[in-house]
Amino acid sequence: MTDSKYFTTTKKGEIFELKSELNNDKKEKKKEAVKKVIASMTVGKDVSALFPDVVNCMQTDNLELKKLVYLYLMNYAKSQPDMAIMAVNTFVKELATSPMTKDCEDPNPLIRALAVRTMGCIRVDKITEYLCEPLRKCLKDEDPYVRKTAAVCVAKLYDINAALVEDQGFLDQLKDLLSDSNPMVVANAVAALSEINEASPSGQPLVEMNAQTINKLLTALNECTEWGQVFILDSLANYSPKDDREAQSICERITPRLAHANAAVVLSAVKVLMKLMEMLQSESDFVGTLTKKLAPPLVTLLSSEPEVQYVALRNINLIVQKRPDILKHEMKVFFVKYNDPIYVKLEKLDIMIRLASQANIAQVLSELKEYATEVDVDFVRKAVRAIGRCAIKVEPSAERCVSTLLDLIQTKVNYVVQEAIVVIKDIFRKYPNKYESIISTLCENLDTLDEPEARASMIWIIGEYAERIDNADELLESFLEGFHDENTQVQLQLLTAIVKLFLKRPTDTQELVQQVLSLATQDSDNPDLRDRGFIYWRLLSTDPAAAKEVVLAEKPLISEETDLLEPTLLDELICHISSLASVYHKPPTAFVEGRAAGARKSLPARSNSSEDSTQRVSNQPQAQVIPAQDSLIGDLLSMDIGGPAIVTPAPASQPGLGLDLLGGGLDSILGGPDPAPGSSAVSQSTTGLLGDIFGFNQGPTCYVPPKVNWLPAEKGKGFDIWGTFSRKNGQISMDMTFSNKAMQPMGGFAIQLNKNSFGLTPSAPLQVPGPLGPGASIEVSIVLSTAGAVQRMEPLNNLQVAIKNNIDVFYFACIVPMHVYFTEDGQLDKRVFLSTWKDIPAQNEVQYTLNGVMLTADQVVQKMQQNNVFTIAKRNVEGQDMLYQSLKLTNNVWVLNELKIQPGNPDVTLSLKSRSVEVAPGVFQVYNAILHS
Amino acid sequence: MGGLLSYFRNLLGSREMRILILGLDGAGKTTILYRLQVGEVVTTIPTIGFNVEQVTYKNLKFQVWDLGGQTSIRPYWRCYYSNTDAIIYVVDSADRDRIGISKDELLYMLREDELQGAILVVLANKQDMAGCLSVAEVHQALGLDALKNRTFQIFKTSATKGEGLDQAMDWLSNALQSRK
Repeated sequence: MTDSKYFTTTKKGEIFELKSELNNDKKEKKKEAVKKVIASMTVGKDVSALFPDVVNCMQTDNLELKKLVYLYLMNYAKSQPDMAIMAVNTFVKELATSPMTKDCEDPNPLIRALAVRTMGCIRVDKITEYLCEPLRKCLKDEDPYVRKTAAVCVAKLYDINAALVEDQGFLDQLKDLLSDSNPMVVANAVAALSEINEASPSGQPLVEMNAQTINKLLTALNECTEWGQVFILDSLANYSPKDDREAQSICERITPRLAHANAAVVLSAVKVLMKLMEMLQSESDFVGTLTKKLAPPLVTLLSSEPEVQYVALRNINLIVQKRPDILKHEMKVFFVKYNDPIYVKLEKLDIMIRLASQANIAQVLSELKEYATEVDVDFVRKAVRAIGRCAIKVEPSAERCVSTLLDLIQTKVNYVVQEAIVVIKDIFRKYPNKYESIISTLCENLDTLDEPEARASMIWIIGEYAERIDNADELLESFLEGFHDENTQVQLQLLTAIVKLFLKRPTDTQELVQQVLSLATQDSDNPDLRDRGFIYWRLLSTDPAAAKEVVLAEKPLISEETDLLEPTLLDELICHISSLASVYHKPPTAFVEGRAAGARKSLPARSNSSEDSTQRVSNQPQAQVIPAQDSLIGDLLSMDIGGPAIVTPAPASQPGLGLDLLGGGLDSILGGPDPAPGSSAVSQSTTGLLGDIFGFNQGPTCYVPPKVNWLPAEKGKGFDIWGTFSRKNGQISMDMTFSNKAMQPMGGFAIQLNKNSFGLTPSAPLQVPGPLGPGASIEVSIVLSTAGAVQRMEPLNNLQVAIKNNIDVFYFACIVPMHVYFTEDGQLDKRVFLSTWKDIPAQNEVQYTLNGVMLTADQVVQKMQQNNVFTIAKRNVEGQDMLYQSLKLTNNVWVLNELKIQPGNPDVTLSLKSRSVEVAPGVFQVYNAILHS
Repeated sequence: MGGLLSYFRNLLGSREMRILILGLDGAGKTTILYRLQVGEVVTTIPTIGFNVEQVTYKNLKFQVWDLGGQTSIRPYWRCYYSNTDAIIYVVDSADRDRIGISKDELLYMLREDELQGAILVVLANKQDMAGCLSVAEVHQALGLDALKNRTFQIFKTSATKGEGLDQAMDWLSNALQSRK
């Protein structure tokens, strides 16, 4: 032996040993080796180096070995993306039905399913294209188990390569599986489709359900497994029936699911029913019985284990807010049991308050009083608070609640007293001048208050009712001693309370108020406190009367709604019943990464409000041209909302046009052929006459497009805007409906338009009479001029708008229908028309077809005339009516049109010429809209 | 001593010979594999990965690996080189354009240490196609003249017609047995 042995690679080690074992000829040895590899993998050792060797064991008849190799593949394919390609052929072979493999094709469907499942788990982009063919075959496999596995594989593939799935037609194949004879296949196809729809980048579902597929789903629903039922129910929840009859029939077929033993099935069924009930008339008998049927299954959920109870309770919390009727008689099941875990107790308490009504308040109060004597501090606090909330919610029982609270204060238990004082403050806000007699009792407990919230509440009470508390100054002074050690909340309250006291009893408290003002403004680092101090100081020093009006102003009453969810959020959460969103009470976008762009779900609108739905439909095409919010903000940031609008005169964009029209006109008339021989005299006089007639009442008859939802409430923090544009008496008007879907009143409205193609700008500030209360709507119109700054937009008639209210500034874009820019002096002389038509080069001619116009030529003339499109000539050529029309835009751009109308043919050809041909699409859109109006 | 051992091994049914079928894509490797295994022509699709089959020829057992020939897969041939007894290199005689690439791949492969002891069989396949290169031309184009220290033979074959494969396998069996 020489020393050279030290320099040769010994190739020893676990990996090397495994490698040689994997390459062993004996199948048993091979299997043992793969098992060892999997074991190492499971405990976290990196055995990815063995990838080629393990893959080489793939082609085997031994099912156990095959499963192990697949397990390895799923784990390591991602770390060996290039090498993974070597595995492809084996899958293809296993799944192929080609003659090549007819001998070795495995007749065992389990192996085929295993192969397709593994394929889906190999998340390597490079090899996905090779897996399409086998997958396509599997989707048509004779065995349902293979088809069902393949369906899920499509969803997985979509996650890796969405475009591939769409191009390969897998979506259609999945859709076909919805009518599969096997319910499990249907359920998995549904699950895959919903996953794909949720992942759709546009937020729009890629595969829409129709009434037929829904019917198939409903049939499969009764036959498939419980989890399959959940998938089907969840996708039913995303379907919007076309009318209330369909909704009702779906409800009827789903109702039996409420009796299912699986809580997930029950909750999913509840979700579908909650959604569909929105579409039904709430007074109908059907909704009544449905409401009754919903209660027992929800109650049953509360007899399961605490974790399930908690999920059920969180969902019930939403249901109770949306439809209090469902559980109004079931108060007792929400009574807390001694052995409930705390999280269930707190949730039950919350629901108890929501269900509390005059009918059951006595029962509820005695329960709550009981809870207030329990040992768990958190629960006791919540119970005391609940009593206060009951007092605010159930007015006739307020007195009983207050006396219950007083009883609790008598117990002198520190945290009970403090919590009671906090809620009593709220009760005072709700019922002023009613329960002040208890103030003295409260004052007795002043010394025991050590929590900031309770101290702040007590100080607020003293300040508010200073005139009735003889020693209010002494009490407040006692707090003032430790001013700097107090919590900010308490400091702020103390400042306000002393100012109130001073305004009520100015004579003997001057010293006190000076003391607190100097403490707040000079010795404090807190900007809030200093600011408030300075404001009070200036108020008091400049105008004490005004100070009195400000500080002692009457306060709005509070209501119990304060703890409810925002209605738009609640509606969205109802759509997510039986998911994490309904447990968190947050929309999925708030806690799921990468879901920000996903579609927001919303409850369907009642189907009988047809007007509403047509507006929604008309909204669809418009929505596409609205640019993304981000791009808008950049443009609009520089704008000064509410400030004086900068009005600059619009530069004449076509200065040469007018001259051209007149100058070039005469020469060409004489030389060129007349395109409308013989018809000129008649048509000219008619149009002239019509022009005169319609000149009078142009305003009212001008076409006004239906209003479109410019700013949906969920984007506008509850502020909802529908709007349209019109032209009245020669002026452009922007007509909007403001709705407040938030919970607090809105005011301080202002509007600003971004620079746009036609220099559109408000000619006066936005006038909105008074604040807009929650739930209220108001019609707002603003007259616009075209004297603003000009900047070309894409599309040309796009308008970016910023509207401000007291909550925020909101940005959106809308399309201004072109006809509002058509001026009243848009009639060209016939000769000028002719010459201009010829002058404009042929490449400036655009042709469109207007479909489905059921009007005669005269009706067209009349309709267009009402919108400042003037007919210059009309003639009949070979049975076709030819109309020559002119119009002028506010920026002096002329547009000349030729319309070909064949009697009996609904398609009208519009040829359009203009020197600024970019206006053509907008003009065409308006023609289309007006002629269909 | 060695002769005696191999004699006994033969008696006991010798160990499987490991054979690789290599070549450019579309040369007919998979068709040849299944021609050898089941004796008939099967419809194939491009092999993305590999096929492995047991083939018994005249009492000799072969473990035949058919590796995909596409450019993306060729780099992985080397994962299969160790312990290889023979290589069947398939050439599409009708593909004049790519015979050069085929040559490069072959020479590149033969330089591998692990393949120094492997017997080489070159199959000039698709001889049934009109306008194909003759065996001599293939021999020339692959530069087999320059091959040294290598047991090798070239055969003209048509996998679809089943011609020439038996001669090739006969020669290979003999070569493998005499090597021991």
